[in-house]
Amino acid sequence: MNSDDLINQLVHDFRPVPRHALSWRLIAGIALGAVISFAVVLRLGFRPDLWIAMHSFAFWMKWIYTTSLGIGAVAATIKLARPDTPPMGWLWVLALPVLGLAAISMFELANTPTSQWLEMWLSKSWKVCSSLVFLLALPIFGGLLWSFRKLAPTRLRAAGATAGLTAGAWGATIYCLHCPEVSAIFVLTWYTLGIGAASLVGALAGPRLLRW
Amino acid sequence: MQASEQQLRIWMVSGLGGDAVAHTTLLRVLMPVLRQFFRRRMPGQGDAIEDLVQETLIAVHNRRATYDPARPFTGWLFAIARYKMIDQFRANGRFCTIEGMEDILASEGFAEASDARADVDRLLGGLSPKQEAMIRATRIEGLSVTEAAARAQIGESDVKISVHRGLRLLAERVKDSLR
Repeated sequence: MNSDDLINQLVHDFRPVPRHALSWRLIAGIALGAVISFAVVLRLGFRPDLWIAMHSFAFWMKWIYTTSLGIGAVAATIKLARPDTPPMGWLWVLALPVLGLAAISMFELANTPTSQWLEMWLSKSWKVCSSLVFLLALPIFGGLLWSFRKLAPTRLRAAGATAGLTAGAWGATIYCLHCPEVSAIFVLTWYTLGIGAASLVGALAGPRLLRW
Repeated sequence: MQASEQQLRIWMVSGLGGDAVAHTTLLRVLMPVLRQFFRRRMPGQGDAIEDLVQETLIAVHNRRATYDPARPFTGWLFAIARYKMIDQFRANGRFCTIEGMEDILASEGFAEASDARADVDRLLGGLSPKQEAMIRATRIEGLSVTEAAARAQIGESDVKISVHRGLRLLAERVKDSLR
């Protein structure tokens, strides 16, 4: 096709781009997937004591952990969605929630008799926790793939990894509504494992799925 | 004739704001810019270049939401163009001759080298003339302290101090700009 015709065709349905359109598109994709994950958790059932739990330290510890990871991951994904990615040196701040939770875990373990450590670490749901977090991450990752159709990542592996991390962290946030576990070491291990798996899959699939 | 970064950015920002004429003008003006960009990196591949120009124009249009008005326009544009070019190399990997690759590497290397030279000039430009001259003499031209001192007709310790202070200033400046 002639390049002039191409331009005429491109600007045929011209529309202005609102400020922060990129961020909004990513957030819309996440929200889209989160609705599905939420429906899945609804089906699994909320924890029966959700209302009471919302007044407890353990519940907010989990939520602050997953949401802070989620916010950091979204910020990174927004940067990696641009072709001219700025320096990403600040990414180390994503380690802060993990370190904070590790500190709480140490404190908890120090105040618990050694004989109960294993019980605290595995509790009742360790076998399903990571898999469910990963499962709940999938719709959000799918939503992000939709967002990326109008975006322009050039570091596909990194963008895939942060998209996976975003999906994992927000999937885990939704999972908190179902999961009755209270110990920090449990969350640190099994939540992080599920979120990490989502991130890893994102990094592996990024170059293929995010290509444009 | 090529439009300046400033002019391109004005068109781009107006286009994002809804000015269809500015946006159309931008796309038209970008055609020769992109053609030159690809021609320099892929000599003798006329058809492939036209395809890439069109693909890049489509991406510039469809993905214009990824442009951040606070950042340089050409940086954004060439990041897209480079991505499209590498993607095309990957797709046609088996048709890419070794000789062609050498040209690409050479021209890519040239771009990087001139970028690096511009960076050095910009950084050193912020120092005092003596510090700049002494760093150039000892660290870039490779003179010894004695030779540099003799050429500038100053003491050897003066050379050492100028280089030392200049480098420290540079390090601070680089660190600040990375923050």
